[in-house]
Amino acid sequence: MNSLFHRQCATFTMIFFAFFLYCATAFSEPFVPGGDIGSQTENGFNSLGPVVEQPIEFPHNVHAGQLGINCMYCHTYARRAPVAGIPRLNKCIGCHQWVASVKDKPRIQQLMEYWDKKEAIPWKKVHDLPDFVRFNHERHIQRFVFQENRPAKEACGYCHGDVANMVTARRVKALSMGWCVSCHQKDHPISATNSKTTNGPNDCWQCHK
Amino acid sequence: MSSYSNISRRDFLRVLGLSGAAATLAGCGKTSIESGQETVQSFVQPEDFVVPGIGVYYASTCTQCVSRCGVMGRVREGRLLKLEGNPQSVISRGKICALGQATVQAQYNPDRITSPLMRQGGALVPISWEKANQILNDQLGSASRLSGKQIAFLTGEVGGHQSVLLNNFLETFHSNHHVVYDPLSTAVGRSASQVVYGVDQPLLEIDKARMILSFGNDFLGVGPSSVHMAGQYARFRKAPRGVLVQIEPRMTITGANADHWYAIKPGTEGVFALGVAHALVQHSAYSNGVPAEVISALKAYDKETVSAITGVRAETIPHLAGMLWERSPSLVLSGYGAESHANGQQNAASILLLNLILGNQNKTLTGQAKQPFPQLLPSQGSYKAFANLNNEMSAGNIKALLLFDTNPVFTSPGFMPFAKNLSAVPFKVAFATQLNETSNECDLVLPLLSPLEDFGTHVASYQPQGIELGIQQPLMTQLYPQTRSFGDIMLDLLKLRGVSEYKNFPNYYAYIQTALIKSKPVFKSGLNDQEFWEDALSKGSLRLDVGPSTLSPKPNAVSIAKPKEEAADLILPFHFVPSVRADWRDGTHTNLPWLQESPDTLTTVAWDSWVEIHPSTAEQMQIVEGDVLEIKSSAGSIKAMAYLFPGIHPDTISMPLGQGHTAYGRYADGIGVNPFKIIAPVYDEKTGELAMHATRVSIRKTGERGRLTKDEGATNLQQGRKLVAMVSPDQVNLSKEISHVVK
Repeated sequence: MNSLFHRQCATFTMIFFAFFLYCATAFSEPFVPGGDIGSQTENGFNSLGPVVEQPIEFPHNVHAGQLGINCMYCHTYARRAPVAGIPRLNKCIGCHQWVASVKDKPRIQQLMEYWDKKEAIPWKKVHDLPDFVRFNHERHIQRFVFQENRPAKEACGYCHGDVANMVTARRVKALSMGWCVSCHQKDHPISATNSKTTNGPNDCWQCHK
Repeated sequence: MSSYSNISRRDFLRVLGLSGAAATLAGCGKTSIESGQETVQSFVQPEDFVVPGIGVYYASTCTQCVSRCGVMGRVREGRLLKLEGNPQSVISRGKICALGQATVQAQYNPDRITSPLMRQGGALVPISWEKANQILNDQLGSASRLSGKQIAFLTGEVGGHQSVLLNNFLETFHSNHHVVYDPLSTAVGRSASQVVYGVDQPLLEIDKARMILSFGNDFLGVGPSSVHMAGQYARFRKAPRGVLVQIEPRMTITGANADHWYAIKPGTEGVFALGVAHALVQHSAYSNGVPAEVISALKAYDKETVSAITGVRAETIPHLAGMLWERSPSLVLSGYGAESHANGQQNAASILLLNLILGNQNKTLTGQAKQPFPQLLPSQGSYKAFANLNNEMSAGNIKALLLFDTNPVFTSPGFMPFAKNLSAVPFKVAFATQLNETSNECDLVLPLLSPLEDFGTHVASYQPQGIELGIQQPLMTQLYPQTRSFGDIMLDLLKLRGVSEYKNFPNYYAYIQTALIKSKPVFKSGLNDQEFWEDALSKGSLRLDVGPSTLSPKPNAVSIAKPKEEAADLILPFHFVPSVRADWRDGTHTNLPWLQESPDTLTTVAWDSWVEIHPSTAEQMQIVEGDVLEIKSSAGSIKAMAYLFPGIHPDTISMPLGQGHTAYGRYADGIGVNPFKIIAPVYDEKTGELAMHATRVSIRKTGERGRLTKDEGATNLQQGRKLVAMVSPDQVNLSKEISHVVK
């Protein structure tokens, strides 16, 4: 092996190392120590996702928390479709055209502006999985809520956190592949001696269609 | 330089380990999850059944070719994603062809016109609809003095209520000058069919035949209703398995499916058919019912004479006659190639005569069901009518020309010269979704909705089963706010002309709805008006289940001429076949990239033009694949790369129609060459139609060589290794082989 090869190896290593460090530092969010990921602290959340600015600062704590509205009342597509979607505008208006007590609040006025123009509110995605992952909401809701009869707060909260105590939604769980697979692994472990041809939800193509 | 090579493995790993640890401390949520980057699909007030992620299917009718198949579109979140065949349509029976699939690209084509355009200083500039309507009013409004043939509407094969409105508009000028130009007109075939069967187009019961003898009829490729016929063909091939024999100078996709394929000298198909007829009438079973003068005229067509004229071996004739004898009922088909010669109608009539001799009428050949809406049938194009218009234009008699669903600057033969004559017309309006060579020459271009955004009605000229009135409806709301429906524009023009009966229709939708609800008694529907209409929209069509009508053919109407000697042409020695690809047709669809990307079924070439030449001819002329050849006729010349193709007569070369656009968008421009421009002025003797396959050409190697983009890889696939053994037909007794299979 000549010195040119060594030099090339070393150069490559330097570049790789530099890139690695860059990745390690560039995308990190401030991690608040002192609790599990997703848990509440006095200062806010042990969260993994950034604060996402929404066109209207929708208070989940008022609707899901104070008023106790079921997640699935608004997020109705989650149990019907592979794509969860966001409530249609006329669902908000359905209540707010009658609720007099908050009629003059600034956020409601923002809402009515959109309705008057019949313009769709450009909500920003908070839990945005990359395009190469196909996550089917319907299957998960059907299993956990309708088959295993868990309350919606628990089933939805497992991935989305304690939304009832949030203002606008914020990602509090990892939602990484390893995190998802850790649940799929439970009943369908992949092992070297396994002679099964499919592994249920633990098959690669269930999510990477 | 040597300092780098001093890093040891230990050091390297230590460093890596440190940084690795640091990375894990920085947060294990280092995923590809994004937050706050994309916007959610957000609705205001959708219908109840609109659920994100779940497609809803709407029915419509495809307008890409004359078949008018029923289709359905999958719409998700307000966007049309894909077309499928509509299982409730008897024309398509739930299937769809490549052309239909590609309509989605016509919808989303980035080169669509999005506003009206007006000619100003040599270029087309965008204007408002207000201005466009003002121009229309000035030129064609109630103050216009135009009358009679001074105003002409040049279209493709448009039918349905679109054509009703169009013709009513012309009537306001006391004009009936609606010219339909189909560059691939079937006028000759229709004329021969009238002569022999008494109808323009009989129904072909392909699935009832035990044998099909096709003289170049590309029913699996071009039609007249290729999707439906492919389904019939599949049933034809089920046990007891039908036999397909194809005789043509250049292999079509139908020919590629045949059990036997014979190369024949172009233009001699009729002679060959009469040779087979000669063999058949030797048997009394077939000569009964054939007039004596026909039998005596057939005497001149003995197999040796026919073989000398056609180039097909003499033994083939009694062989085919024997097969037809064994497999009854059979079906003999005449093809576009046979019909596109100076003796085209003669060829076709001779071929169709075989059906009469074989007694196929009312078995595999029936009459179409009686049409309750003749006014909705599309007028079918003819070259003669188009040539007349061209002459009128050059004489300065046409003062206003409206164009819809046609691109004559591209498709007209080069000798015409249509573009020059077009410039003599003072006011030209094009209705189009995309600019093309013709609309580029117009004074006013009106942007249309795409066929998937528009309403319409369609009655295909070939109705394979009963009567199906296809309804076209929008599969999504229009992409561009300034585009309009052809029907809406025509209604506005009619109102402009002061026609009171259209006053109460706010739009074309209202007009069609009223017209179709009025036709409820014809469809014997017991539903109320609203239910009838909604049912029609959800099915995509209105149907009448009526059986075929009886054919009353006239064998004595067929005149048989003596076979003619054709002089060898030394200057233009080759026959030129401009081939019609099922998804390119006359070039209307080469602006759709899926159709460019799909390799040609026989040559596997994509995104280009090519010259098909027989390998033995190529060897004689020392031509290899990729050699750029200049193909010259009496009318012009074009250049393209050679492709060695065994499925062609050695005296013939072929090039595909549809390429060679110069102003049809980014996916069509500058690709390939346009064979329409070298078609020679040869006409069918009986009908006067342009004989598209009668052009003679010379081949010249230009000395350049390129590489054809094709899927099949190496040309010489076997590389001399006899991977697939081939024997010539005379070494095998094919009749024995086939009769083993067919029980």
